Amino acid sequence: MGRFKNNKKSRVIVKPIPKKNQEDVSHVTGDKIPKSFVFSRMKLPGPVKQLQMDLRKLMLPYTALSLKEKKRNTLRDFLNVSGPMGVTHFLMLSKTASSLSLRVARTPQGPTLTFKIHQYSLASDIAQSQLRPRCPQDLFKSPPLIVLSGFGSQELHLKLATIMFQNIFPAIDINTVKLSTCQRLVLLNYNKDTKLIDFRHYSIRLQPVGVSRRIRKFVQNHQVPDLRNLQDVSDFVTKAGYGSESEGDEEAATVTLSSDLGRVNKGSTKSAVKLQEIGPRMTMQLVKVEEGLCTGGIIFSEYENVDGKKEKLKKKQDEEGDEEEEEEDSEEEGEEGSEEDGEDMDED
Amino acid sequence: MSTGEEGHMAMADRGSRKRRVGVKKGTKAARNKKQKSKPSTSDRFKVTMKNQKLFQKRARDYNSDDDEEEDDESKKQPEVTIREKIFSDANMGPNYEEIEEEDNDENSDGEDHGEIESGITKFATDGCNAFKIAFKAIMKKTKGDDTLGPVLSAHKHLIGEKLAEDEAEKKAKGQARKAKHLIAEKGHVKPGSYLDSHEKILIGVATKGVVKLFNAVNKAQHAQKGLNPSRSKDAKVLKKRRKEAFLSELGKTKTDTKAHKSEDEAPVWAPLRDNYMLANPKLKDWDKKQETSEGDDFAGLSGDESYED
Repeated sequence: MGRFKNNKKSRVIVKPIPKKNQEDVSHVTGDKIPKSFVFSRMKLPGPVKQLQMDLRKLMLPYTALSLKEKKRNTLRDFLNVSGPMGVTHFLMLSKTASSLSLRVARTPQGPTLTFKIHQYSLASDIAQSQLRPRCPQDLFKSPPLIVLSGFGSQELHLKLATIMFQNIFPAIDINTVKLSTCQRLVLLNYNKDTKLIDFRHYSIRLQPVGVSRRIRKFVQNHQVPDLRNLQDVSDFVTKAGYGSESEGDEEAATVTLSSDLGRVNKGSTKSAVKLQEIGPRMTMQLVKVEEGLCTGGIIFSEYENVDGKKEKLKKKQDEEGDEEEEEEDSEEEGEEGSEEDGEDMDED
Repeated sequence: MSTGEEGHMAMADRGSRKRRVGVKKGTKAARNKKQKSKPSTSDRFKVTMKNQKLFQKRARDYNSDDDEEEDDESKKQPEVTIREKIFSDANMGPNYEEIEEEDNDENSDGEDHGEIESGITKFATDGCNAFKIAFKAIMKKTKGDDTLGPVLSAHKHLIGEKLAEDEAEKKAKGQARKAKHLIAEKGHVKPGSYLDSHEKILIGVATKGVVKLFNAVNKAQHAQKGLNPSRSKDAKVLKKRRKEAFLSELGKTKTDTKAHKSEDEAPVWAPLRDNYMLANPKLKDWDKKQETSEGDDFAGLSGDESYED
């Protein structure tokens, strides 16, 4: 097959590694499972490349971990590939001399949120700063939970951001979900005063409560304890060790598990939820919301008010609904709410 | 010509003897071997007085510049001593060192001097003027210059300039690289201490969310533990409980929204609604075998709610 070379110019050189046996539709909720691409259209300097990799790992398993992009790939190429593969969201990083920005967009025509990243820390930095970094085997096998706080329901662009982030990660059904699959957590905390969003990524760990430290360590780590100085095994079991300072916090975080989770945490006993930070840490600010995929009218802009907002409003109302009708609803409601107070909200 | 003669004589010489032990090729002894018409084994190294005077004359001719007279006179003595030493001792090595000590005032390299002296006689016979002039010029220049040697003085300037240029370039490049690095690292913050107060607050918020979720899950799943979903009666109760529990949990957690479907508003797309299959009687039993007539289908509807969502 060596004689005929494919004309590479006409081919799209986007090589995501497709996951075998990956479902498009969640059998639990009946919704389409959202998949994402994390990429950038320019050459990124060192730490930002690592940040991109961290974000990819964060979005696992429903993302292309080894996505390779070439300079001549345009956004249109990615769009073309995303259709058949069922990719619903794009996360795009770009770095200029003055700022680093992350754009979260819904394909194919959905809105684009542009965040300016003020500060970031890589996963490796965080692991270095910890005493005992933790990364169990199957940490990235199931998608993370997401917790959004402080967004409120008043401001439209925030509402849009809320909905967008909720839809990036697949939904869970509390009736059927196994707690062993909830191992990661993404937190987005909005601070009204500074308008900054804190982005954190944690790993969830459950520890049985009410068990003394030594016994717990013994059971968890399979380390044979040193019984040299003790007369009797009962000394080991009943010795009152001083509690760690985090045990006070555990009281509030106690959960009764419905089922057994591993050897240690048995069902119907109390366990404490412990979070340890992994993954990147970002502080970002929402600066722009655009209608289309990096195009279209600007719905919200942090720095300046775009003129001709009304005309754009009318255009949007004439458009047909997307799959994400909730987003459309909120956008339209938001638009009208902002323009004219007291008018009723439209509902499709 | 003379060279031809010499060559011939050299051949004749070599006929009698293949290799001269202790005589290097370019040295005076080797040349003497070629030049002398009567090779006498014992007298090879001895320079007769007649020859010596001849050589001196030649050297003087060669060194016949005006400003070299003093050098000539000072050179004469060393010349003589040099040559005597050269020819008295078969081994050239130590002589070179002695020569160096004697000629410190004049030339840097005694070895060169010895070689050059012997070279002068040869070139005097050849009559190479250009070399003489060039050599004089060089010797003049390098008086008192010991570091790089006579030939490299101009080159030294060039080297000096080039090094200075390189340094300047490196500095500029280094600064440019540093600036680039700063821009690349802009915004990259390495956390100093792992848990400061702000982080603790955030972890607290996240923990609260997780706890709520796990409690909701626990409630829902505990409630359905005892019930078998395929039994119709239980299934009804199951569904009811589920919905209640979910809505109540949602009522509490409106501020901390999670990744479940938000059931506050009925989703617009029909299959998303909870009562999708149930409301429409025709669709309810889509998985049942269609062997009976429609009447049977309707009859079997009320009790069967195995597929809800």
